[in-house]
Amino acid sequence: MSQNKKIKNQSVDLDMEKSIMSQINSEQISMKPQWYFVVGSFLMMTGLIALSIVSVFFTNIILFSLRSNNCFNTIRLDMMIESFPWWMPILAIVGIMGGLLLLKKYDLSYKKNFILIAFMFIVSILVVAWFIDYSGLNEVWSRRVPMRRFYQHLKMEPGNSKLDFEPMANNFRKIQYSNCYVN
Amino acid sequence: MAELNQLSDEQLVKQVYEKDKQLYAEIIKRYQIKLLRYANYLVYDEDKAADVVQQTFIKAYINLKGFNLKKKFSSWIYRIAHNEAISILRKYKKELPLDDKIELIAAVNIENALITEEFNDQLNQCLSKIPLIYKEPLSLSVLEEKSYEEISEILRLPIGTVGTRINRAKNLLKKLCHKIKK
Repeated sequence: MSQNKKIKNQSVDLDMEKSIMSQINSEQISMKPQWYFVVGSFLMMTGLIALSIVSVFFTNIILFSLRSNNCFNTIRLDMMIESFPWWMPILAIVGIMGGLLLLKKYDLSYKKNFILIAFMFIVSILVVAWFIDYSGLNEVWSRRVPMRRFYQHLKMEPGNSKLDFEPMANNFRKIQYSNCYVN
Repeated sequence: MAELNQLSDEQLVKQVYEKDKQLYAEIIKRYQIKLLRYANYLVYDEDKAADVVQQTFIKAYINLKGFNLKKKFSSWIYRIAHNEAISILRKYKKELPLDDKIELIAAVNIENALITEEFNDQLNQCLSKIPLIYKEPLSLSVLEEKSYEEISEILRLPIGTVGTRINRAKNLLKKLCHKIKK
């Protein structure tokens, strides 16, 4: 029985070697060029960085949006839910998931605890997003031309198109805060 | 031929993609038995194991230039085989995994008594009941005699986890074999 098995194994081995080498010789299979791997690694890293930036940006926007409407005494919860930009957390989650997938595929996770890396990735995104919010960077960005309209849109209540100007938006926020503290 | 034997796996790989692709046959010769044994241990089916190994060699050849020559080739090719075996297992998940044909050759060293055919039968019954996460490091450690470091490279797990899983696998094996004996 054991003898038969060894003979069978040997024939499988020989067939396999022949079969693979014939595929190589007939060029049915060929090696991918070196540049393919270089470009692949570069794109993977670029994608990972881009996804991290996107995730940080949207997480920060969520914090900014919450902070702009953080008084439950003056704004009803249903209004807040209605005005909350739900597509942002979705995009942030998609960004984080994409980043995790790339991390898993890329050799960065080689021989390391992937769960730990994933955890650190998510925590770092949250920390950076919080830091941007805490340090007031997003306030600075909200006054700069490329991002101003975007941030101002977040500061407004839905349907309140008159708050399209920075001073009015600031007044609106002051009223919100003062109401919070008075109550 | 004698020169070929003196080349390390990594040197051989370099020769394959720089000079002569026919040398890939030597790589196949070096690894086919080891990989067949490993795949057979994971998928419990000789035909599927042969498919796993064939696909492993094909994928390894296609991606040979992506192999980092500073790393260990054996870990790299075992990793490919591992991935192939897992995808085969997922594909045939609904099928019963155990096939009595599995045979453990040579390196088996648990309790110094695994060589006998009777014991192999009992061992197969026990092994079929061990979860894959324990089976993988155990097979690499016991059958393939890989170091913990190599196993951690192949399975991409920290060395501590590898050690823990192997110990748990051995304990499970002892308990299961003990129950079956009774």
